[in-house]
Amino acid sequence: MSKLLEYRKKILKALGITCLVAIAIAASVGSIQAAGSVEPMGITPLWFFIILLVGCTVIGIFAVLAGVGGGVIFTPVFMGFTPIDSYIIRSTGLFVAMAGALVAGRPFLNKGVANIRLLFTGAVPYAVFAVIGAMLAGYIQKTMGAGGEAFIRGALGVIVIGIGLLFVFFGGKSEYPEVSFVDKFTEKLNLPLPYYEDSLGKVINYKVTRAALGLTLFCGVGLISGLFGLGAGWAMVPVFNMVMAAPLKVAATCSKVMISMGDTAAVWPYIVGGGLFPLFTVPSMIGLIVGTLIGSKIMLKVKAGFVRWIIIVVMIGAGIRLISKAWTMV
Amino acid sequence: MTEQEKPKPLLSGVIYGEITFWITIIGMIICTIGIVLYFIIGNQFFDANTMVNELWAGKDAATIWKDAAGREVIHGHWYLTRLAFTDAIAMLGLGLCCLAAVFGSWGSVIGMIANKEKPYLFLVFAIIIAVLLTCSAAGLVSLH
Repeated sequence: MSKLLEYRKKILKALGITCLVAIAIAASVGSIQAAGSVEPMGITPLWFFIILLVGCTVIGIFAVLAGVGGGVIFTPVFMGFTPIDSYIIRSTGLFVAMAGALVAGRPFLNKGVANIRLLFTGAVPYAVFAVIGAMLAGYIQKTMGAGGEAFIRGALGVIVIGIGLLFVFFGGKSEYPEVSFVDKFTEKLNLPLPYYEDSLGKVINYKVTRAALGLTLFCGVGLISGLFGLGAGWAMVPVFNMVMAAPLKVAATCSKVMISMGDTAAVWPYIVGGGLFPLFTVPSMIGLIVGTLIGSKIMLKVKAGFVRWIIIVVMIGAGIRLISKAWTMV
Repeated sequence: MTEQEKPKPLLSGVIYGEITFWITIIGMIICTIGIVLYFIIGNQFFDANTMVNELWAGKDAATIWKDAAGREVIHGHWYLTRLAFTDAIAMLGLGLCCLAAVFGSWGSVIGMIANKEKPYLFLVFAIIIAVLLTCSAAGLVSLH
């Protein structure tokens, strides 16, 4: 198993290095057709690619240090601080959140920390409502024009400020919540699966509770994720951990894997709607994944507490900017 | 604690993790190759300069399709029939990444059946997810 994990790390490293080398080669080739002429925007497609790659790498590093997924920062930052169309940003945001989750889920499932019962149960309402959200996004874009765009930006601004405040006031999650009462519905579902905790050297037997409330909340989380193209770990972890009382590690790993299911369901309506462009999506995806890898290395060496506050400031700043943009569009 | 005493992860979960991981990695490699060719060879479905300008001008997806590809949005897997274009190769890689969870969830369903994992309620949930993802990837869950 450890050999396989080592192999995986090597592949990811090789992918990142290959990409950087390829860009360097591309930059040195005189006959690059796309980069040949400088356009009115002021940068060539190649520079657009490189700037996006570097920007998303930075977002990925900060996201890991702050303990959130890159997808949740990508969408508000790009919608708040760039003129790019919100439908395209949301398509890409959803894709990068999904790609990161797909790559990250494997070791958690191999070790049994991510509870497959818990995540399939939660994935049903999450995925269904993520698809409804994605279709709603397409409908708003098609029929409501500037008013719809203003609504999306304004509502996302409010949500992003809410996420920032959630980090400030409800940062303290419980590693192993105590469950004093398990309701009948949750008991019948038989959700818990024990796992071996390496750091403690023992098997963790845990209970979960309030499954009905948790599943209802996942409907709302899915809708927000699909409609606004956000990764949803920021909401799923508290639902699993604070509402359903799953251990923090189980909550975090289950949310990662569930994002890969729900966002896959939601990303296809965006793709069918023509909202995914390789020139924008590929550097964003590579940048966020490379940034996540770099961030996890840095995390072992630095105190990341201050980064969390930077992210909170960025999120609230992006939220205010989104609301002001929406205000000017109305 | 010996390996035998440690709880074993469910096969369905392991299958999901393995399938999604490897398909995503293959997809990422393909889209990286596609985007490198995009810059070195050219032969683009979407004109790169037009696309960058239009993206930065805040144009919507339909306008970018019209101006950079010279046509209306093709709803569905447009890249499959246009793999001679470098950005279609990159898009194939992206599409493959988006299919990872579809294959993974079906793999998980098969794993549950093969391993006779109880209770069967979770098999029902897994089938619902697999069907939903398949419909979504097939373009059946769409406004178009």
